[in-house]
Amino acid sequence: MKLKYPLAILLLAAFAPPHRLLRGQASTSSESRSVWDGVYTEEQAKRGESVYRKECAACHGDLLTGGESAPPLTGGAFLANWNGLTIGDLFDRIRKTMPQSAPGRLTRQQDADILAFMLSVNKFPAGKTELYRQSEMLKEIRFEAAKPEPKK
Amino acid sequence: MREKRLQRLNSVSLLLFAGLLCWPAATSAQFHAKDTEWPSYAADLAGTRYRPLDQINATNFNDLEIAWRIKTDNFGDRPEYKLEGTPLMVNGVLYATAGSRRAAIALDPATGELLWIHGEHEGKRGGAAPRQLSGRGLAYWSDGKDERIFYVTPGFRLICLDAKTGVRIPSFGNNGEVDLKLNNDQEILPDLITGEIGIQSAPVVAKDTVIIGAAFREGMTPKSMRNNKGYVRGFDVRTGKRLWIFHTIPKKGEFGYDTWEKGSAEYTGNTGVWTQITVDEQLGLVYLPVESPTSDFYGGHRPGNNLFGETLVCVDLKTGERKWHFQLVHHPLWDMDISSAPILADITVGGKPVKAVAQPSKQGFLYVFDRVTGKPIWPMPEHPVEVGNVPGEWYSHTQPIPTKPPAYSRNGVSIDDLIDFTPALRERAKEIASQYHLGPVYTPPTVSKLEGPLGTLTMGTASGGTNWPGGSYDPETHNVYVYACNSCIEPIGLVAAPKEISDIAYIAGTAGREVEILHGPGENAGADSPKPPKKPAGGGFTRLDVDGLPLIKAPYGTITAINLDKGEFVWQIPHGETPDVVRNSAILKGMNIPRTGQTTYNVGTLVTKTLVIAGEGTITTTADHPRGAMLRAYDKMTGKEVGAVYMPAPQTGSPMTYMVNGKQYIVMAVSGGPYSGEYIAYTLPAAGE
Repeated sequence: MKLKYPLAILLLAAFAPPHRLLRGQASTSSESRSVWDGVYTEEQAKRGESVYRKECAACHGDLLTGGESAPPLTGGAFLANWNGLTIGDLFDRIRKTMPQSAPGRLTRQQDADILAFMLSVNKFPAGKTELYRQSEMLKEIRFEAAKPEPKK
Repeated sequence: MREKRLQRLNSVSLLLFAGLLCWPAATSAQFHAKDTEWPSYAADLAGTRYRPLDQINATNFNDLEIAWRIKTDNFGDRPEYKLEGTPLMVNGVLYATAGSRRAAIALDPATGELLWIHGEHEGKRGGAAPRQLSGRGLAYWSDGKDERIFYVTPGFRLICLDAKTGVRIPSFGNNGEVDLKLNNDQEILPDLITGEIGIQSAPVVAKDTVIIGAAFREGMTPKSMRNNKGYVRGFDVRTGKRLWIFHTIPKKGEFGYDTWEKGSAEYTGNTGVWTQITVDEQLGLVYLPVESPTSDFYGGHRPGNNLFGETLVCVDLKTGERKWHFQLVHHPLWDMDISSAPILADITVGGKPVKAVAQPSKQGFLYVFDRVTGKPIWPMPEHPVEVGNVPGEWYSHTQPIPTKPPAYSRNGVSIDDLIDFTPALRERAKEIASQYHLGPVYTPPTVSKLEGPLGTLTMGTASGGTNWPGGSYDPETHNVYVYACNSCIEPIGLVAAPKEISDIAYIAGTAGREVEILHGPGENAGADSPKPPKKPAGGGFTRLDVDGLPLIKAPYGTITAINLDKGEFVWQIPHGETPDVVRNSAILKGMNIPRTGQTTYNVGTLVTKTLVIAGEGTITTTADHPRGAMLRAYDKMTGKEVGAVYMPAPQTGSPMTYMVNGKQYIVMAVSGGPYSGEYIAYTLPAAGE
């Protein structure tokens, strides 16, 4: 197939914000964390599940598999959507647009708890500290769909 | 009155392009769209999504480049991430709905320049709407002189605009609007602000009638067996006067009332037409694809077959009187709303010409009828189906199943449908599936039990199969081209609903998990945030995947070409790059896995002189392209892929095409995940580039 992907990639790179490219480079640095590093607690995920079921499940489904009017929050398509971005990007998306009828109605704590629940359902490991409520801090946590190879 | 005044004050129409005032008036007495235009949601009123254009073809599809693009972030008070519209292009202007305001916009179709914008600020009424965001589009009407644009706001008001300026036409309805919550042969409860009814699909204009259906919240866990009803109405395009109404739930004395036993027609609601309506203007017939009645998965409070739930109904364009009907699913229990536009096709069967209507479905059957008489083209005998044992439920013992064409997507779950990349994965999948009741199409839901089954594992139900984007039809080959999810599973378990939760005996749920009120969009808008829970929620959580891999085997999504003269497949292909989770799986490393397609149901198709064109519905990141999705073109005769171009996000509306200034364009809506809504227009490079 003679596809024009290289051209598309060049165009994308030309228009991508510089900070995004920089962040992509920074993400390889050793001090940054990812969703595989235990960035939420089980207790937080349990709180998040309760809020999720009240506020989100009607559209996104009891099992996070999505519905007619809302995308799944688990599975391959969800992971592919956020792979390579940060937890802060996902958090801001929730803050800005959810719940659909009144975006921003939930507190930052509730949104962080819901996010913790989503991470737990997607089998990212729990840890000892809760997920932050501040977008800036969450932007330091990379969303990686695939589990990284163990460090040697 | 106060509400009306506020609406008028807040109504904004900005004329951004003064030159439009000097629009040259068409001189012909009657409007006829050209083949180079896209004058209604599905290209035409027949629902074909077909244009006989060929400038973009197999030899140059890979050369496509972005002509223009427009983000919809600022057409509302927040960005939207689910842009589903299909624009119109008629008389040199492109029209679309856009943004969380559901603004109507007009663009220059060659450059994307914004010509005008119209938005309606609806306050609480908009916030309480069951179907929000930008919707799927709008409708165009002209008598050769006047040009009008119609769309329905999230708050369920029909707006009529001057297509030249985007300003309301005062002589239509009440200063350019018709309140669709009124004059509906029912009182919309509890009140006009919060009363649950709306619509997201595009209005249909046929001859001089605007036709509007109705939509509601999703019905998995309804709070009541009572709800507003989704009647369909026709309105005069000039005055907004209601011309007719069709009662999708018959009133006492009307045909079909007795299919609602114990008086359940009186209180049951929903049963709307939320998807696109199709019209044969020459025959003067309208085809209504009707959805499920109240309570998707439990029908114990609506005993009987429940006409016209999940029924294709043909009504008269002038009067709304029923001509014929065919119920696809008796006593609906699976959320098999008829989800997409019926497709009109003039075909030849057994040497005889037939005016047919073909209905794609969530359950993967293509139902084909004589559209004049309603008689099936190929028999659809009643087949015995499993009768369940949910207390209080009423079951139909048979369902109609078409003998031709064969089902074009999976519509049940058996062991043979489970992941089969390796025997070990199949065994793991069998363990997961063993917690559920399995069976073919129309296997009924079960009560969810901790010891099993947790529910019935279904496919081709709530998501489909084929959902709202529907199919395309090619009048040259007499082929229907239709995308279907082949792996969208839906576990349907029922739990007894506590009285304080719902007056329905059973609602969707899983044993061991606390039953709670599920708030849909529009509920509790502006209310205080809920207090933090005092105790953590418990209960098990079953994941329906195997180590992140889909539980169901490939192909995950397909496009099928079905010849309507013969009722047979011409070709069937997986559509969409193999998902990252499969391509990058350590378990599958070293295996040669052919393209699988994707687990998504929101893929619409476009058919041209030579191509079938459809974008991917899922993001992938591959060696060939960065995070994004591909817009793919297939040879419409063979299904062979002939080209693909990169999109920054998945296709979430269906592609449309048109020609302007001698150039062909393909426009589609993309969005999802981190990418907010955007319309993107592709065209070929200018000569010499």
